[in-house]
Amino acid sequence: MKHTLSVLLQNESGALVHLVGLFAARHCNIDSLTVATTKNPAVSRLTMVVQGSPALFDQIVRQTCKLIDVIDVSIPSLSSHNTTMNLAERP
Amino acid sequence: MISLNQKTSDLSLKKNHALHGQSMSGAALIMQVVVDEACEVLFGYSGGAILPVYDAILRYNIAHKRSDGREAMPLIVPANEQGAGFMASGYARASGKVGVAIVTSGPGATNMVTPVRDAMADSIPMVVICGQVPTTALGSDAFQEAPISNIMSSCAKHVFLVTNTTVLEATLRTAFEIARTGRPGPVVVDIPKNVQNATLCFDGQSRLPIPGYRKRLHKIVHARLNDADCYGFFTAFSAARRPLIYAGGGVVAAGAAPALRAFSASFAIPVTTTLMGLGSTDTTTPLALHMLGMHGAAYANYAVEDCDFMLVLGARFDDRVAPVPDQFASGAKFIAQIDIDPAEINKVKKVDWQHVGLLASTLERLTRYGIAHGVKPSPKAWQAHITTLKSRHAMNYNRDSALIQPQAVIEEINRHSQGRAIISTGVGQHQMWAAQYFDFAQPRQWLTSGSMGTMGFGLPAAIGAQCARPDALVIDIDGDSSIRMNLGELETVTSYGLPLKVVVLNNLGDGMIRQWQKLYFESGFIASDRSLCLKDFVKTAQADGFTWTRRLEDKALLASTIAEFLAVKGPAFLEVRIDPDAEVYPMVPPGAAYTQMLTGKYITSRSAPPASADETRPDAMF
Repeated sequence: MKHTLSVLLQNESGALVHLVGLFAARHCNIDSLTVATTKNPAVSRLTMVVQGSPALFDQIVRQTCKLIDVIDVSIPSLSSHNTTMNLAERP
Repeated sequence: MISLNQKTSDLSLKKNHALHGQSMSGAALIMQVVVDEACEVLFGYSGGAILPVYDAILRYNIAHKRSDGREAMPLIVPANEQGAGFMASGYARASGKVGVAIVTSGPGATNMVTPVRDAMADSIPMVVICGQVPTTALGSDAFQEAPISNIMSSCAKHVFLVTNTTVLEATLRTAFEIARTGRPGPVVVDIPKNVQNATLCFDGQSRLPIPGYRKRLHKIVHARLNDADCYGFFTAFSAARRPLIYAGGGVVAAGAAPALRAFSASFAIPVTTTLMGLGSTDTTTPLALHMLGMHGAAYANYAVEDCDFMLVLGARFDDRVAPVPDQFASGAKFIAQIDIDPAEINKVKKVDWQHVGLLASTLERLTRYGIAHGVKPSPKAWQAHITTLKSRHAMNYNRDSALIQPQAVIEEINRHSQGRAIISTGVGQHQMWAAQYFDFAQPRQWLTSGSMGTMGFGLPAAIGAQCARPDALVIDIDGDSSIRMNLGELETVTSYGLPLKVVVLNNLGDGMIRQWQKLYFESGFIASDRSLCLKDFVKTAQADGFTWTRRLEDKALLASTIAEFLAVKGPAFLEVRIDPDAEVYPMVPPGAAYTQMLTGKYITSRSAPPASADETRPDAMF
């Protein structure tokens, strides 16, 4: 199953490696990835498509939320108020 | 760095640091931040790319001479950087403070990978400062260059590579903040040599903006249980007849042991702990069930099977505790979990009630609510059942053997230490015997590599713990194979005059490996039998400056030798030749459920002999 993930990331060298390294270590292949700075040059937006079961995706989103450089995580397929915190706390 | 300036101005109302505005080298600035962050001792090995920082340590100690002759910032130099990492870890585990290790670039930093991963896996706060080649040489395959930010980013809670000199101070302060807040962990700061040599203006309080982390942390720290949450929890609790608490290392990390003890006592709930949670309850009290899991007490595992309500505190259903998650606590109709890490909720096992927040304040809130609403303690019949389980399935071993049994050594030491010693271990059988047979009155007395299972951890961790608690009795219970891994640190013990007690339970090889080979590989003892090795541990300790050394081979001398050993004022080394066939029981085979627990010959099982080992799933054989 395909999932799309949108991440706001601090624009710093190493931040991208940290994030994609997490996916690699959890054996989750990235099908597509785009990264660019936002209007705020200190922040990048990263959009990625990954494959995996809903349970795997849910867990990897929670892990992504723990990365220090990650500012926010959202899932475009869910409604706009589903941001990092309520995703991370979803039972 | 707009937001950084904003942060600085927010803090401008605070009193300035005494050195605010002073010009100093990057290295001196690093030293000052380390001091400001309440670091009391440094562990580290020097090298070309970190020399400016080492020189700054020397200058700091010259400038801050103490009247008692001790150094203002003691530095412990190990035999190998891995030793420094485990010393910092042992210091952090014994004290609850951030351990600091300082190493050079390339091999110095790569030798630190194992301790960093070990600290990450056990949630131990550490800051590791690594020297790096100058920024102009980064990526040029320079002498002693390694891509540390890449390597460590997979292992650490966070890693910084400081290429911008103006944020060195803010980065280092932020590293300490990240290490100690939330779920603690190791933070690596990779600092090129030219940054250490730069002339900088000291601020005294600057930090990096890490808006995502701080926002998430703020929410977790301020999460409170509302009345409906408490009502839901206690409704399930009151409906239960057999409640049980399963407490992990998070209780120790959160300083929540007093809150746990009060909660458990208020409602008469028995507590079993993980390997990492030992000491969060006083293991000698009636409601304490000691350790659960693969080598947990049989009575603890039976209580897990029998419970109908489970409260999980700072624990994560690790495979050594819940090898088959579906069958773990299968009788529990209600499982509640409290953790600081949202990613641990429902990761392995679905729970019915959860709270992401601080353990101590959450438990205090539950205790207050329960008392105020007249919640009754657990049924007397369940408490009596726990007492019966503990006596009927008590830990036991071959007490009649002519050979020295390792469990007897632990029991004899425990008779003297009375649950008050700080115990560190390597990894393997001796680690499990120590976990099973020692009493722990308080948290932070049990230092072991729980998740990573790193052999060689015991000796350097004990050195770090002795630095944190100079007056405490610190004992390294080690195995012959584990201590070999960092044997060079014996010399560190004597060089710094640390009154450490080192015990090597020598069974001539890797005992736990042999135990598995007996069970699952038809006793093919490849790579685990060292009976032909010629190592003389006593001579080794003597060569490294231990003046009290002893090899114990006669069972009749056990009690007198232990008494003499523990009475030594300075460092002491004791090798005990133990029964090489002694095994660790109980044992839940890897990948098997608790119903298949093997209790061995000396512990009473309550069920028929379990299924044979070959029924274990092949993918679970680790």
